Amino acid sequence: MARLFPIRHVMGYIFSLVLSFVALGVIYWDLTFTAAMVILIICAAIQASLQLVLFMHIGETSSKKTLYLNIAYAVFVGLVTVFGTLFTMIWGFR
Amino acid sequence: MKWDEFFVTGEPMIYGAMVSIVLVSIAILVGLTYFKKWGYLWREWLTTVDHKRIGVMYILSALIMLFRGGVDALLMRTQLAVPESGFLDSQHYNEIFTTHGVIMILFMAMPFVIGLMNVVVPLQIGARDVAFPRLNAVSFWLFFAGAMLFNISFVIGGSPDAGWSAYFPLASLEFSPTVGNNFYSLALQISGIGTLMTGVNFIVTILKMRAPGMKLMRMPMFTWSVLITNVIILFAFPVLTVALALMMFDRIFGSQFFTMANGGMDMLWANLFWVWGHPEVYIVILPAFGIFSDIISTFSKKNLYGYKSMVFSMVIISLLSFLVWAHHFYTMGAGAMVNGFFSITTMLIAVPTGVKIFNWLFTLRKGKISFTSPMLYAMAFIPIFTFGGVTGVMLAMASADYQYHNTMFLVAHFHYVLIPGTVFGVLAGLHYWFPKLFGFRLNEARAKLAFWLIVVGFNVAFMPLFFLGLQGMTRRMYTYSADTGFGPLNFIATIGAFVLAIGFVVLCYNFYYSFRHSPRDEHGDPWDARTLEWSTPSPVPVYNFAKVPHVESQDAFWHSKKHNAPLYKEGPYEEIHMPNNSGQPFILGVIMFFAGFFLVFSWFTPAIIAGVGVVIMLALRSFERDHGYHISAKEIAATEQKLRGDSV
Amino acid sequence: MKINDALPLEYRTEENSNKIFGFWLFLGAEIVLFSTLFAVYLTLWNRTGSGPTGKELFEINGVIWETVLLLTSSFTCGLGIHAMRLGMKKPMMIFFGITLLLGLGFLGIEITEFVNYVHEGATLQTSAFLSSLFVLLGTHGLHVTMGFLWGTGILIQIKRQGFTDETANKSFIFSLYWHFLDVVWIFIFSFVYLKGLM
Repeated sequence: MARLFPIRHVMGYIFSLVLSFVALGVIYWDLTFTAAMVILIICAAIQASLQLVLFMHIGETSSKKTLYLNIAYAVFVGLVTVFGTLFTMIWGFR
Repeated sequence: MKWDEFFVTGEPMIYGAMVSIVLVSIAILVGLTYFKKWGYLWREWLTTVDHKRIGVMYILSALIMLFRGGVDALLMRTQLAVPESGFLDSQHYNEIFTTHGVIMILFMAMPFVIGLMNVVVPLQIGARDVAFPRLNAVSFWLFFAGAMLFNISFVIGGSPDAGWSAYFPLASLEFSPTVGNNFYSLALQISGIGTLMTGVNFIVTILKMRAPGMKLMRMPMFTWSVLITNVIILFAFPVLTVALALMMFDRIFGSQFFTMANGGMDMLWANLFWVWGHPEVYIVILPAFGIFSDIISTFSKKNLYGYKSMVFSMVIISLLSFLVWAHHFYTMGAGAMVNGFFSITTMLIAVPTGVKIFNWLFTLRKGKISFTSPMLYAMAFIPIFTFGGVTGVMLAMASADYQYHNTMFLVAHFHYVLIPGTVFGVLAGLHYWFPKLFGFRLNEARAKLAFWLIVVGFNVAFMPLFFLGLQGMTRRMYTYSADTGFGPLNFIATIGAFVLAIGFVVLCYNFYYSFRHSPRDEHGDPWDARTLEWSTPSPVPVYNFAKVPHVESQDAFWHSKKHNAPLYKEGPYEEIHMPNNSGQPFILGVIMFFAGFFLVFSWFTPAIIAGVGVVIMLALRSFERDHGYHISAKEIAATEQKLRGDSV
Repeated sequence: MKINDALPLEYRTEENSNKIFGFWLFLGAEIVLFSTLFAVYLTLWNRTGSGPTGKELFEINGVIWETVLLLTSSFTCGLGIHAMRLGMKKPMMIFFGITLLLGLGFLGIEITEFVNYVHEGATLQTSAFLSSLFVLLGTHGLHVTMGFLWGTGILIQIKRQGFTDETANKSFIFSLYWHFLDVVWIFIFSFVYLKGLM
């Protein structure tokens, strides 16, 4: 039975629950907007990496470099789209 | 809905088109039945998963769409030839410039480029097919379904009329109440999904299916350009998918993304459209760069100058292409920071492009140049494209752009990059690889006549537009008064457009002429070329390579010819595993067409039924167990014997 | 067909390992797709027109349950793949079954939430904020629905055929998809709900 629950997966699961509840704190604690966003961004980024590495086994094959590059490129374009749109349509708009 | 709203009525030209569509359809149906070709069509083409055939179908569709988009262009030029012409009314003119733009970019340039990729890339890297042949067929049929859905708007429901960029609020339900822009959102959506799958397919093909010894830095430049292009496709097309979906929600389901009330933000559409739209420009131009690189190197009898800098500049372009989109709407009212930032990135992207121009020039230097028809297109490309590029740098300056924005200067600029870049590129590629596909070359004399008509016609048609733009003629105006003084230059431009059209007619006639008269190519290498595709017999057998080639350097085939180093190891043939044909992609395309069509008219019950049909098709595919078939070694030996004589 | 026995079953043929690679690329495209939806949402989130704001609308309890269900389903999905690699068919099917049921539970809560919103007069048509909210959540929900159908199909195939090159490959690709949906949910949880309730 125990070998059906490998420690990496269990730890990953517990860790992701903990991170979610830490993030939940931003609506109960009295934080500045910046501090709250920093907490949210850090928690979300760690959680995403947990899933990628522990659950999705991104690093297990010989093409892992390409796979990381793929995710990095996608994240680059995603961030450019999000922040570029905010920059163009809101922050930088007269 | 009444029937006279369903069909487009009241235009003699459209009635004429309807009659001719019906007549041509009947002729095709009768012809297929009379010559008993239904089975052939189904077995060999509609169900094929062979990358070469899919490529041919892409190119054929692109040529048909080139005809449609070209007729649109001629109608526009005829209308503008003289002041206050009554040839078209304003509404009809709006529809025509919209469909011209959409068709030329998405249903002509894209499939032409993708068609050449399909034909050439597996051959250049020594692969038997693309990584996912079935998915490749799905890509094609989704593209085709989208193209047909878009074109049918011409006679049913009415064409979109808000420009190819379909800016809101003009494209909203309030200002464009016909179903035209519903066609726009759904047709582009369906074909866009197909394109996205092509992106995945070709990246896997190029990264995972190369012949032994073909390292990344030994790949032919066209393959490199296709790899980079598909990376851009993969990351740019999802943005279009979202933008079109939001447009559909706004127009069909009453959401408030781009509306003028309830918090909607009309310019957000323009923003999303160009986040995709600018990378799209590089999607259609980079493969052309690759084609020219291969052609210039082949016909200069030299290896490509600055191979590494070519690759590096394309990688830079692919990243920068995602950082320049706001230069399409400098005049929106964004602050100096935004316009300044995008001005700088836009000017930066000219640098890697300039690097490529110099590389081509240095490749030519001291080369033994032969002026074949593909080479002529490449030679015309370099100066004309540079001209177009330089006017692009002028437009990149945000403050100056306030003067040029939405004038004919802009129209001239993008035709000056897209025609010598993409169109000359795919035409050069078509002439270059035609013998590989069909086993005979296009007649050179007629090809060169077509080339000169196209080049001269193009310059006569578009050079005047720069001056018209600087004089203040805006784009998309359906007529002008004689007082403006726009008349004479417009008339010259119209003459040029017709010369260009005659060039295309000659080019198409040349297919027929060459089919009748060209000598058949015996050895598969008519140009004395450099890359692997020319080491196969022409036309290429279904399995591409009887034995897997072993690559030792760049320009592998050239290397093997010069150093007498065989590409193929000695030894008996081995059995080859091939994928089975399938009708599912075609059927999926038909269902998607109807799903789109029903949604256009907001007929939700049939649309849901078609949607369920799509899910059933996916399930069928999941449960299917199809392991392909094998071609025996004996059969391969017989085929090779027939194709190559006894040289191997 | 090249076969490499050193690899797990799902990677063993060249074609299948290409499929996994191709699916990773597709997930790259999905990252951009959801990023664009986030870009739209973050641009429009305070443009509420005459409709309710996020703070007035969101109920944290349902959201916490959704998060727990989806995180757990991602965990059991990973366990399913682990069991598959051990060659244990029945545990694998149980883990996948639990995964799909949890996914169904998630969908149930999400649909209830949507119905509540609509009862409060917050529909797709009300304001730009609500349009972007419904489309962002709806796209994720649609993905979960497709995943549920897909996973069910795979479970049937495993039941019939056991672990073969193909079924193992499909299960692994499905697991990538399911974990990815969990990642997307984390971002929705953080930047739609928590940011909205702050």
